[in-house]
Amino acid sequence: MSAVISTTDVCRFFGDDEETLVKAVDNVSIEIERGEFTALVGPSGSGKTTLLHLIGGLDNPTSGSVKLSGTNIAAMSGTALSDFRRDHIGFIFQAYNLIPVFSAEENIEYIMLLQGVDAVERKRRVSEILAQVGLEGLGDRRPNKLSGGQQQRVAIARAMVSRPEIILADEPTANLDSKNGIALLDLMKELNESHNMTFIFSTHDEKIMKRASRLIHMQDGKIEFDEKK
Amino acid sequence: MLLFKLAFRNIFRQRRRSLLTAMSLTGGYVLCVFSFSMSEGSYSNAISFFIQDHTGHIQIHKDDYLRKPKIHKSIEAPEDISAILDASEQIESHTLRIFAPSLAYSETDNSPAQVIGIDLDRERTTTTLAAKISEGSYINSEIDGEGYYSAMIGAGIANNLNIGLGDELILISQGADGSIANDIYIVGAIVGDRRSSDRSTVFLPLAAAQEFLSMNDEVHEVSILLKDDGRARAEAEILQDLLPDLAVDPWQEVEATFYQSMQTDKQGNVIFMGIIVFIVFVGVMNTVLMSVLERTREFGVLKAIGTRPAKLALMITLETTMLASISVLLGLVLAIPLVLWFTYAGFALPEPMDVGGILMSHITGELSLYVFAAPLFLILGFAILISIPAGIRAAFNSPTEAMRSN
Ligand SMILES: Nc1ncnc2c1ncn2[C@@H]1O[C@H](COP(=O)(O)OP(=O)(O)OP(=O)(O)O)[C@@H](O)[C@H]1O
Ligand SMILES: [Mg+2]
Repeated sequence: MSAVISTTDVCRFFGDDEETLVKAVDNVSIEIERGEFTALVGPSGSGKTTLLHLIGGLDNPTSGSVKLSGTNIAAMSGTALSDFRRDHIGFIFQAYNLIPVFSAEENIEYIMLLQGVDAVERKRRVSEILAQVGLEGLGDRRPNKLSGGQQQRVAIARAMVSRPEIILADEPTANLDSKNGIALLDLMKELNESHNMTFIFSTHDEKIMKRASRLIHMQDGKIEFDEKK
Repeated sequence: MLLFKLAFRNIFRQRRRSLLTAMSLTGGYVLCVFSFSMSEGSYSNAISFFIQDHTGHIQIHKDDYLRKPKIHKSIEAPEDISAILDASEQIESHTLRIFAPSLAYSETDNSPAQVIGIDLDRERTTTTLAAKISEGSYINSEIDGEGYYSAMIGAGIANNLNIGLGDELILISQGADGSIANDIYIVGAIVGDRRSSDRSTVFLPLAAAQEFLSMNDEVHEVSILLKDDGRARAEAEILQDLLPDLAVDPWQEVEATFYQSMQTDKQGNVIFMGIIVFIVFVGVMNTVLMSVLERTREFGVLKAIGTRPAKLALMITLETTMLASISVLLGLVLAIPLVLWFTYAGFALPEPMDVGGILMSHITGELSLYVFAAPLFLILGFAILISIPAGIRAAFNSPTEAMRSN
């Protein structure tokens, strides 16, 4: 198996002078294989979000490289990076993921419109994915007419529909109660297994961590230990 | 298409705010149209007033008579010019004139007077002179039993000399040959009142004036009325080619002082309107920036999932431009009946207003494409202009920063 993601000595420091310097991500080298279901865990401020943003090409590293399927995204910028994210990475955030003026369907369709997928194919994929995330019949609702758990399912659907290599989720369950959180994670796990799709998510929740096939523990921007089940 | 949909829905997201913005834009547009219509309308009125009063659309002179009138700078053989002008399809009518400063006497008083010799028949079809007669009637060019020609005199002269209809008037001037000219005329009509611009004018039949000033059949000025107001410059050029030895000028040259002050005033009006629109837009800009700041996180997500920065900027510009377009469209619906009323009815002024030296007692607007289009471009231009900084801000904002906010 080849690595979908590989970071080499990647660093992300904030602040200019010695005193204010924050080493949010400090010399991290990891390899993630296709189909892995990885949880990033660690205390608050340990660098989970920063690392996810570096891997997702939302932020540029201070040094080191980030390769996605062999492409070094640390060297990309602007429109090229934007297009790369669109085609290769799916994002799920903690909250406010969706465009409030678009219905669930339109939110899912949006990314395919950016990709230039034709109308018939878009319709087909939207109804297929809505069924997969268990939201049949709710496609024409706007986000404010959906529960938090349903909104996160739409976010998963949107992240997956563009057929990216990896899906990055930063505390996707943090705004959900534990029952809905576990249900959401079970859905992610199911999609991970059925589609052999690579997931990396961060979490604080012990119950959620247990479902991961690999746990990367972070502390002060460094990897403390990396356990595969 | 997608961007349009998104922009359109975002406008309706903050209904009250968009409504207030739209109202100020609509109001600004209507105000602008009205002001442009008023300025264009009052100038059009002033222009048609002096064109019909005496200037005509085009004038022909010898050399620089227009700037430096001298009695000897006269047009020879005006009948040849008349033949050309009478044959032209574009020309409604024309008239021939000669001018001379002179002194006018009655038995008791004297007064300076501007003598204008006019082709009586042609003047009548070219200008509104006949309509300005306040006493007596339009004279003819015949000599009475005692050998005197008739004259029409301005009300100012009648007053200064204390004379009226049927009285004798003595004029003294210098002839073209340097001789002293003097002759007696009978007052046949009084023109205007003591405030009229021709209060100090004495109108003589052309032949009488030519005789008085020893000018044979020469004239100083040919004034031409066109069928189409807009063709003065073009026709003047055509005539200039036909009459290379004479100076042909459109009214814009003849009334150069008026024309330039009108242009300056119109530019001033555009600038003034620009300032008003700018003030309206300071409020709009604030709203646009606020609505963009509020959505920082949302834009961060849009960017994170692969919306190109330029597309995001375009979306924000589109939002403002669409709102402005809707407002202007609404403004157009309101402005059209307003301008129609203003153009065809208008309103009377409590005090006459001076428009480029001409007193106007009634204000009417102008109905033209310019009146609607200029404010439209002004407002849409500003809308695009003010949304650019907001768009750029959103485009360059890093998605990580955006996601950390709020
Ligand atoms: N833009 C920034 N400027 C300065 N410091 C930053 C910035 N972003 C992150 N940091 C710092 O980097 C460190 C790592 O932050 P990060 O958000 O990655 O932690 P985290 O593990 O995601 O924490 P949490 O569990 O609370 O979400 C923190 O000390 C944070 O204060
Ligand atoms: Mg975090």
